Amino acid sequence: MYLGLVSLRDLVLVRLGVAINLVLGQVVAALLLPVYLDSLGTILVAALVGPRAAIAAGLTSQVLAAVLSGNFSWLPFGIVQVVIAVYAAGAARVGVFKRLRTALPAGLLLGLLAGGTAAPIAYFMFGGATAGGVTAVTTALRAIGTPLPVAVAIASMGTDLLDKTIAFGLVCLILRNVPSHLAARFPVLAR
Amino acid sequence: MIGFRTGRSPLHAAHPYTPLAIATALLCLVFAAQTPAAIGIFVLAGIVLAIAGSSLGYVAKPALMLAIPTLVLLFILHGLLGPEPRHALGPLHVSDSGLTEAIVLGGRITAILFAFLTVLATVSPDRLVEAMTERRVSFGATYLLVSTLTLVPRMRRRAAQILEAQQCRGLRLGGSPLARIMALGPLVLPLVLGALAEVDEQVLALDTRGVTSGRVRTAMDPPPDSAAQWAIRWICVCLVVGAWAERVRPLLMLIHPHLYVACR
Repeated sequence: MYLGLVSLRDLVLVRLGVAINLVLGQVVAALLLPVYLDSLGTILVAALVGPRAAIAAGLTSQVLAAVLSGNFSWLPFGIVQVVIAVYAAGAARVGVFKRLRTALPAGLLLGLLAGGTAAPIAYFMFGGATAGGVTAVTTALRAIGTPLPVAVAIASMGTDLLDKTIAFGLVCLILRNVPSHLAARFPVLAR
Repeated sequence: MIGFRTGRSPLHAAHPYTPLAIATALLCLVFAAQTPAAIGIFVLAGIVLAIAGSSLGYVAKPALMLAIPTLVLLFILHGLLGPEPRHALGPLHVSDSGLTEAIVLGGRITAILFAFLTVLATVSPDRLVEAMTERRVSFGATYLLVSTLTLVPRMRRRAAQILEAQQCRGLRLGGSPLARIMALGPLVLPLVLGALAEVDEQVLALDTRGVTSGRVRTAMDPPPDSAAQWAIRWICVCLVVGAWAERVRPLLMLIHPHLYVACR
């Protein structure tokens, strides 16, 4: 057992999920999209292995993102990764990732959940000043008279809705395109 | 952004758990503090830690580069757009309570940045792995934290190659937002599917190294520890517990007044 995971394969998959979370920002930046996709690896691990492995992937990503960027003040947002891991594992269990038409709405709902979890952390711990883009939206909303807690919640959810919908759509595409010889090694895909 | 730099400071020589414990304690303490004066002390403590690690010059630039944009945003959000009453600060009218809030929040972030960037600059990853192995931290935790850091640059290079290859095949990165979202598929799928195909190879490599044997791994060169450092780490724990006990004590009044009286 490694970190409560069942096998060495799970551990290697968790490592891969963490790397995906940390690397995809580069791809997104090239496309100038207002999303992060920093939880795609967590969602993929949740779908392939399960919630425990996904939680390990999410929390490790948060720690390593802090190590790589130097911004350790973002560590409390690890709670959001736990929410994403548990939700994505549940969604995979009920077969949400089999079709895009079920994956996209489920991703939208996760956006609401993740944004709803991130907003209180952003408001109470950081006074609404977190990532640049989100804070710009918060500031604009505040400038037109929106109360700060509402502005923080709208800004957090706005970004997360798009981010998680895209992430769920991509995970659905990835799972549908896994070659058959690889799919046979993952019980979830072999079903 | 910032990495370990060799040196001869007390923090470089210390057991890796000691600077980590001090920085973690500072992280917990800044969230327990609520006044600008207390936060100022912790910012100062973060700077002192950087000086103790002979890394102030190395740490200050990235710490300030990360802290200043946040401080500016906090000043706008809370100082300029904060509640009444306001007072004149040059040409600006600044909210009194908002400015205090911005100083507290910004100070917390600054203190955390100084403390943890100092840890990054003074704790050697190799010594940390040795310390974790000696303390019987599971192989999984060590592997995830350390090995992933070596995988990330490799995957970044691969992502850049895929990006160039797909552009050569005619993929356009610009256009409407929908077109850019559609371009994610050809970039993300090869990266992730390629990495998934390597999982078996990595499992085999780890298996060959005997990590599934279940035996306790031996640390080849464990960093020396001392009673003084052990005491410092426990003082950190006590400070955090004490500060948070003081912070939550008024909350007990809301839950149970008798409990509050007993705590006093």
